[in-house]
Amino acid sequence: MSLQFLNAFKFLKKNTLIHNLDPRAKLLFAFIYTINALMFNEIIPLFILFISLIPLILLGRLFKSWFKSLKGMSFLFIIIILLNTLFLSLNLAIAMVFRISIMLSAFSIFFLTVDPNDLALSLISMKVPYEFAFSFSLAFRFVPTIAIEAQNIMDAQQSRGYEMQQKGIINQVKNLFPLLVPLIISSIKRAFNVAEALESRAFGSEQKRTYYYTIKYTAKDWIFTLYLLALLSILIIIRINMPIWFKWSIPV
Amino acid sequence: MLNEMNSFIRFQDVNFSYPNGTIALKEINLKINRGETIAIMGQNGAGKTTLIRMLNGLIRPTSGRVLIEGVDIITSTIGSLSKKVGIIFQNPMHQLFSNTVAEEIKFSLKSLDLSKEEVEEKTKTILNEYGFEKYADHSPMNLSGGESKKLANASIMCRDPDILVFDEPTLGQDANEIKIFLNMLEKESKKKKTIIMVTHNVEFANEHVPRVVFMTNGRILADGPTNRLLSNETLVNRSSLILPQVFRLKLGLRTLGLEVPDNIIKKFDMIKFLSSYFETEKKEVN
Repeated sequence: MSLQFLNAFKFLKKNTLIHNLDPRAKLLFAFIYTINALMFNEIIPLFILFISLIPLILLGRLFKSWFKSLKGMSFLFIIIILLNTLFLSLNLAIAMVFRISIMLSAFSIFFLTVDPNDLALSLISMKVPYEFAFSFSLAFRFVPTIAIEAQNIMDAQQSRGYEMQQKGIINQVKNLFPLLVPLIISSIKRAFNVAEALESRAFGSEQKRTYYYTIKYTAKDWIFTLYLLALLSILIIIRINMPIWFKWSIPV
Repeated sequence: MLNEMNSFIRFQDVNFSYPNGTIALKEINLKINRGETIAIMGQNGAGKTTLIRMLNGLIRPTSGRVLIEGVDIITSTIGSLSKKVGIIFQNPMHQLFSNTVAEEIKFSLKSLDLSKEEVEEKTKTILNEYGFEKYADHSPMNLSGGESKKLANASIMCRDPDILVFDEPTLGQDANEIKIFLNMLEKESKKKKTIIMVTHNVEFANEHVPRVVFMTNGRILADGPTNRLLSNETLVNRSSLILPQVFRLKLGLRTLGLEVPDNIIKKFDMIKFLSSYFETEKKEVN
């Protein structure tokens, strides 16, 4: 197992329509797609929603990274399919995989196309206090760093005979301790170091800040927002009055 | 022929690229004999850590072969290779997670098919050997930086691998901790263990390591006796290193017109030379 899939959430500067959208519009996109995915338990609407993400992925030239993030979560999909098929139904299992994929893809698109600095700015413009906005963007920036750290920990443990694959659920959970404990400890230590470094650079000493960069909600952001709101409204209507073919399921 | 047979570790035309396309190793050919101690040196990003990670299969070559005792690593699992190759990583905190120091050692022994009694006995021996008997029930998280590094070393040493690989073993260590590491190194070397270390510490390498490999941009720049390579200013500069003090002093003395013999390669040789020089000078003055 490689934790490198977390790199699939790492922002890479590109000049595409999706990258150039306002971070607030993309945050709205991630939330609306999550809400949309949570509204349905049926395969067809979830499949349509999933397909509707593809043009955005292609427009943002994100296919490789997005695919990596889905591949990285494949173990979760297998568990979802197994548990749902065993205890509930195959249809629900497939629907749940689509649901998770939609939510994962929406946030993957968001993280891949939003510069952490712009994210802080957009949160501030939404009246989130600077300290919180900064902490959020900092956490966001550390995702790939933690992925590298996790891989190093895994390598270090494997060098002394740690084996990833263990039989039985309890053993598998126990097996996570050699990875999680050092990861949590090093993350906490890093957090303290970052806090000290920030304080040594007078973080929070001034109540009022000025900003070098500003962000602006442009016409294309409004068009994208309208598309998202229209999609949400249509899906709410469909949810209330669902056509029969939307309820189609695999005959088992 | 004898050298061929003794080649314990062989890198044959090894190339490696990371999934993001970064080429980390290019055409690496390297032979390391059983019982040898070598240092891999070079600038950051030269491919040193990538090279050592191949030894226990953590990464596999994109092309070429890595052979350990004639067996290609591609045919072995990390689990089986880690019995033969013990890598001690730079950051000891990446390894420590148990509730107590003793449990940390036991964890490393778990995968060695030992009986419970044998694990207990070996843990006790290692704890004594590394001076951890007093801390056996302490949390490894409360140890100092140097002590954690020592525990990380102990947790690999207890597995008794034939090949020991250290990534920056002297980094962040005080003089006393380096002395402890050196003692351990000498002990393991006497047991005919093959020791490979990645280091930037030219003083340590010059004094205690007989062979060095210089790497730059994923390639091997030079491979040979430490004093020959570390005294070569051009090679040392190309590897973003600095000449060891003894060679810098030698150059300085030569510019002042002093005839310093070529065989002065270690600090002790220089001390002996200078003391005999001053002795002669004193006699001449008298």
